[in-house]
Amino acid sequence: MFLLLLKSFLRSRIAVAGIVIVLLAGITGIFIGQQHIRKQQEAIALTEHFQQEHIQRNAQFFDKELGLLLYYLRFSLVNKLHPLNALSIGQRDVNSSIQSLTIRNLEGQKYDTDLFNPSNVLTGNLDMGFVLIYLLPLLIIAFTYSLLSEEKEDGTWRLVATQSKRPVNVLIRKLFVRMITVLMVFAVLLLLATFILSLPVDKLYLAVICLAFIYMLCWFGISFWVISLQRSSSTNAVILLSIWILLTVVLPGVANNFITSRYPVPESMATVVQQREGYHEKWDMEKQPTVDRFYAHYPQFSKYPLPDKQFSWLWYYAMQQMGDDEAAVQVKQLQEKLRLREQSSEYIGYFIPTLHTQQQLNSLAGAGLANQLQFMDSTARFHERMRLYFYPKIFEEAKVKSVDWDMFKVEYFSEEKRVSWGGLLLPLLLVTLVFSVTGWMNFNKRMTAFA
Amino acid sequence: MNISTTKLFAAQIYWNTLKNKALRVLLGIVALLIIYAAFSGALIYQEQTQTRQHYQHEVRTNWEKMPDKHPHRMAHYGYIVFRPKHLLSVFDYGMESFTGNAVFLEAHRQNSANFSEAGFSTGMLRFGEISMSMILQVLVPLVIFFIGFGAIATDRENGTLKMLLSQGATWKEILTGKAIGLLGIAVSVLLFAVVVLLVACLGIAGSQINGDDILRIGTVLLTYTLYFSIICLLTVIISAVSRTAKFSLVILIGIWLTAVVIFPRTAQAIGNFLYHTPSRIAFEAAVEKDLIKKGDSHNPDDPYYKALKDSVLKAYHVQSVDELPFNYGGFQMKEGERLSADIYNQHLAGLLGIYQQQNNVLRLSAIVNPFTALRNLSMAVSGTDFQSYTGFQQQAETYRYALAQHMNDLQIKYISNKKPDDHDHPPSISKAHWKEFPDFAYQRASLGTVMYHELWSLLALLCWTAGLLLLIKLLSNKLKAI
Repeated sequence: MFLLLLKSFLRSRIAVAGIVIVLLAGITGIFIGQQHIRKQQEAIALTEHFQQEHIQRNAQFFDKELGLLLYYLRFSLVNKLHPLNALSIGQRDVNSSIQSLTIRNLEGQKYDTDLFNPSNVLTGNLDMGFVLIYLLPLLIIAFTYSLLSEEKEDGTWRLVATQSKRPVNVLIRKLFVRMITVLMVFAVLLLLATFILSLPVDKLYLAVICLAFIYMLCWFGISFWVISLQRSSSTNAVILLSIWILLTVVLPGVANNFITSRYPVPESMATVVQQREGYHEKWDMEKQPTVDRFYAHYPQFSKYPLPDKQFSWLWYYAMQQMGDDEAAVQVKQLQEKLRLREQSSEYIGYFIPTLHTQQQLNSLAGAGLANQLQFMDSTARFHERMRLYFYPKIFEEAKVKSVDWDMFKVEYFSEEKRVSWGGLLLPLLLVTLVFSVTGWMNFNKRMTAFA
Repeated sequence: MNISTTKLFAAQIYWNTLKNKALRVLLGIVALLIIYAAFSGALIYQEQTQTRQHYQHEVRTNWEKMPDKHPHRMAHYGYIVFRPKHLLSVFDYGMESFTGNAVFLEAHRQNSANFSEAGFSTGMLRFGEISMSMILQVLVPLVIFFIGFGAIATDRENGTLKMLLSQGATWKEILTGKAIGLLGIAVSVLLFAVVVLLVACLGIAGSQINGDDILRIGTVLLTYTLYFSIICLLTVIISAVSRTAKFSLVILIGIWLTAVVIFPRTAQAIGNFLYHTPSRIAFEAAVEKDLIKKGDSHNPDDPYYKALKDSVLKAYHVQSVDELPFNYGGFQMKEGERLSADIYNQHLAGLLGIYQQQNNVLRLSAIVNPFTALRNLSMAVSGTDFQSYTGFQQQAETYRYALAQHMNDLQIKYISNKKPDDHDHPPSISKAHWKEFPDFAYQRASLGTVMYHELWSLLALLCWTAGLLLLIKLLSNKLKAI
């Protein structure tokens, strides 16, 4: 019976065409993901190579003053890529995975974006995430919208209904055949992705599989509910496509506009203006108060007195430090706002399966805003560590040659990932359940034999 | 072709749609979305514009308030410029959310435009934003498909079509009439949107709306009408050639999905695949490499700068730079700035060229996909397209260069060659000079330039309309009633 249903289903042209399109898009997506990872890895390799060369060249030119040399030297921190990032590019095409910083003020440097073509990001990436979130539901809709109505319209349903004790079971079996087919399509793509992208099979991988599986189940639930309304094929198609648009275009768009205007971030511009003023105005002020505030921030450096000269590196780096210190309030507000954005997006996602799946996929792949915020925090710590290492050497006027420059390799940040299974899967499971149960009740209430 | 019969078909489909409860609900939702989009577009415009103007003003005030100082300090103090939003960005957000909003301009260094909305976004932004243009480009065509898929196919299924034809109506009258009726619905929605847009624009800009803005809104009206004509003609044609209404619906949905969801992404992905762009680090490394090759101002023994110095000393018949009648440091920096800006601009032009090549795949594909054609046109008219963005970047760089060189000139002219001692007052010039340097004023491309640049898209829309009209004419002689 089952095989028979499967055979008859796969004989239809629309089914085969749909499967082929999704498979092609999926394979394209895998290669696009691979291209993304390769480009990032090339950039990282280049950074490693460049940093060595850059430090050596500058240490040779500016071999007299350590303070001057460190005005130029850049040290890099890399936000490590997880192989899963190939499946979901997320924010990694916009936010740079590499920070190259001097020990001068941080706020003027850390927001530098990567180079990217805005048209590319506007159209969106054709990655596996897109195939899963946009295309597979369309395949599910195409497979199921006329599941019952077609038989009614062709007049075959009466035959089925009279031959079976519970006609709805026939329906469920038909639905099951389609479910297996869709899952097989996804499994093929996942298998290909696993080999081509050499994805590690671990907890995160399992989480991706579960998420994708339940997301697809969710769409079958929605389809089942629409079928249970027992309308004509055309009406079903219109309803299902409208739901698809609601979930992939309208609701996420409305939510995005809401978040953008609910939590605007003028603080970003305040930060850049404030850090610049905070630093530059000190050039025209008395030196001692600036240095005193620097001592207040770092009491450990108060043992270095301000040299009685027109220019000194202690004064210079104290001025730079003031740029950061005076923008600190705005920086904190900005971070707070971004955390709020992240959190509200997550809550809104609980009610919108597409959004939830995209956000969870991004966060599993380390490509979401949360990852970016953590990387920013880590950047600040990295910068502080470099500062604290070099400040005393600069103030003591240590020789450039006394520093072991080979020691400064590119450093890496990698996010600690935990999977909270409940938050990952429960929202989707609930949606699936609500639609399936309502559909089931609709069938129990009424099952007509005619269109 | 009988005009009154045609009118009759048009009126029939128009009024039947408005009488149908489900379709009224659908159109009502579209109207509500349009209002929401206009409202949130206006809100975002206002919030962003106020913030940017506020900080742009603050930057200028601080600049003019700077005390007497060395001009090179001023060159490092630099300037921050903010990208102003076009009023029509209320209508079409275009790339606004993905492009940087502020650039810090300083001597020796070209910084990136930072603080894009996308950089501060969760993955949510990638689903797209609700803008009036998105609703008109994406949702309204689908609504037209939903309304019109059965326009002829249903009549065929229930035999009405046969009756109509036997009563003397011609195929041409039926097809044209129904297409006009559908277009009536689409244009009603469009006019509603334009009125909402005008109200929103008046609300935020008041009397500051100028002739150019009105002209742009007029262009929006015209191009969208052209687009909707294509959609409506396509609907009746598909409905006329389909045996059943269901088949017609499936085909139309397939067309919509291909044109709106799959095609643009694939075309852009192909462009992206064919033309590789360097990462930021690779780009910067390439610039630095060229710069060092030409002359490294950091290297005290650099042959280029050594030769420059020797030639200057020779020309002025002096032994050392201290004896020159002008400030040599400023002179050398001016030369350095010129070299580095030249090399940077060459590389930037190369990069933008690659971006353009990537975008061209999608751009050229407009001839087969009217959705892409309209999208490009709409963004361009709204000042939110790729050209507007690169235009801003280039103007910002021009301003940066002018600022740095102005400060170098001041240094050459007014700063002494003699190095001050540790207890001397540092050399400085009067603050009066700061005010002399004008504020950054972003110049937008005129509507004419914009349209010239988007000629291809306009041509695509016109070709489609003409092609479909021709098809209707051909089909009128071939179609059968059953």
